[in-house]
Amino acid sequence: MAQDTNIVRRYFSWVLDTTRESHLQTVSNGPLFKGLSKKLLRKLLIDLIEKKYAAGDIIFHEGESGKAVYVVLEGSVKIIKESNSENKTLQVLGPGSHFGELALIGNTSRYATAVAEENSLLLIMYKSYFDDLIRSNSATSSRILLNLAEILSDYIHHNQTECNDNKISP
Amino acid sequence: MTDEKHMSGTPLTDLRRLRNQMPRWILILLALGALAVIASRVTQLLMMLIAAAVIAYLLSSVISAFERLGIKRSVAVILLFVLIAVFVITADLIFIPDLKQEIMNVYAKFPEFSRQIQDALLLTAQSSAGKYPFIESSIMKLIDHVFGPGGFLERTLNASEILMQATPLIMALVLVPFFVFFLLKDWPVVMKRVMDWVPPSYVETTISVIGEINIIVGKYLRGLAADCLVIGVLASAGLGLIGVSYPITLGILSGVTNIIPYFGPIIGCTVSSLVALMQYRSFDPLLNVLVLYLVIKLMDDLVIQPLLIGRGVHLHPMLLVITLIAGERLFGIMGMILGIPVITASLKTAGILLEHRREKLGRESAGLIKPHLAKSPIRPI
Repeated sequence: MAQDTNIVRRYFSWVLDTTRESHLQTVSNGPLFKGLSKKLLRKLLIDLIEKKYAAGDIIFHEGESGKAVYVVLEGSVKIIKESNSENKTLQVLGPGSHFGELALIGNTSRYATAVAEENSLLLIMYKSYFDDLIRSNSATSSRILLNLAEILSDYIHHNQTECNDNKISP
Repeated sequence: MTDEKHMSGTPLTDLRRLRNQMPRWILILLALGALAVIASRVTQLLMMLIAAAVIAYLLSSVISAFERLGIKRSVAVILLFVLIAVFVITADLIFIPDLKQEIMNVYAKFPEFSRQIQDALLLTAQSSAGKYPFIESSIMKLIDHVFGPGGFLERTLNASEILMQATPLIMALVLVPFFVFFLLKDWPVVMKRVMDWVPPSYVETTISVIGEINIIVGKYLRGLAADCLVIGVLASAGLGLIGVSYPITLGILSGVTNIIPYFGPIIGCTVSSLVALMQYRSFDPLLNVLVLYLVIKLMDDLVIQPLLIGRGVHLHPMLLVITLIAGERLFGIMGMILGIPVITASLKTAGILLEHRREKLGRESAGLIKPHLAKSPIRPI
């Protein structure tokens, strides 16, 4: 069976969209779209808009109202938090990672600033698209919401453990 | 002194100053207005482009289905065109002969029909002459205007006129599929270029506008296509049951004209009524046709349209009438059909842009907005 697939890939590779397939691989490895079938992921990749950012471009500012979630397809993005007029880098996100996910849940403002660290390609899912997805494709949207809840719960759990460790340690 | 110098500039600097003083949205509105005026001057080409865009939009879901299988977009478009060609050839071999025969019959019998309509109208004029003289004079004027020498029919059926009218039709038959092919194949590339051009601070608002337009136009066009199909089938079946001749042709005509809001059903009903009048030479079957179209219209308004088009495309009745009239004046029938989704999408877009502007002004006046989750975790953001 696997050999059959290889034969199809060898002789009909000109028919297949290799760029999208590589993006699909990237996205399927991320936690936000975990558990979605390849067909559904391809649908998301077709429907959603991609945007190139040059190195140093600010994707969004801290305090802005969030309306979209971003998935890194190529390049990397730096998440910066301003505290006491100093910029502290919280994280550097590579391909497959996502950020700005709270925008899908409610009208929250951005907690930190996102900057493209190098030339990057991002996949953008806007809130109204996700709302439409909830109405039209509950299987996909509920899977994404479940993943989102898992991400949040992991984070809360991780944070709590860290707090407890800090209390215990001298 | 500086001010004086500044005030007394050349006309070009005056223009630049005016441009800088004017809010950007006024400039955008002016540009759009100019574009609309230019577009109204090249209506034929614009209509072909709009028709191609509508067809491409309706076919895009089929292309997406191919793409979901991992197939390249360009290959999917070629595959779809091959499938359409196969379908057209098959339909031509299997289904079209009946329809062709029906149309040829109508065309062959046209002079007889025309005489029958004249007779029926003369009969009505004579019967109402005593009681309502103004009806008699109106009918006589109508007969003269339509059937008289140099009248509407003579002008329409003139061979050179037909040839002149057929030329743009043949052009459309060649150009529209050509436009559809490239719109389907290259649309994602166009969108990518547009997105590359959008400054990062406007990305979320732009995507919001594109998303809303996509939802509104998509719902309207797909709903309208399905609605026309249902109306066509219902009209064909109803006319067949009543016993009116040429139910398939009349059903197709009713379905196609149904695209035009409000006036479409009237056209379908009028033509079917005329055919019934010619066939039975009496006003009784007319009542059946009228009741049929009334029932179809009620079903369309109360059941079919809410189900297929939904409430996504909703305009105030007054704005709707203004849109229809202005659309017809500027772009003819196409303006009437597409005016409603265009105005609805424009209103939605204006709402989103105003919201973006308000948010921007709010942020500017308040300094930096206080983070919503002041003591919340670093991730998620």
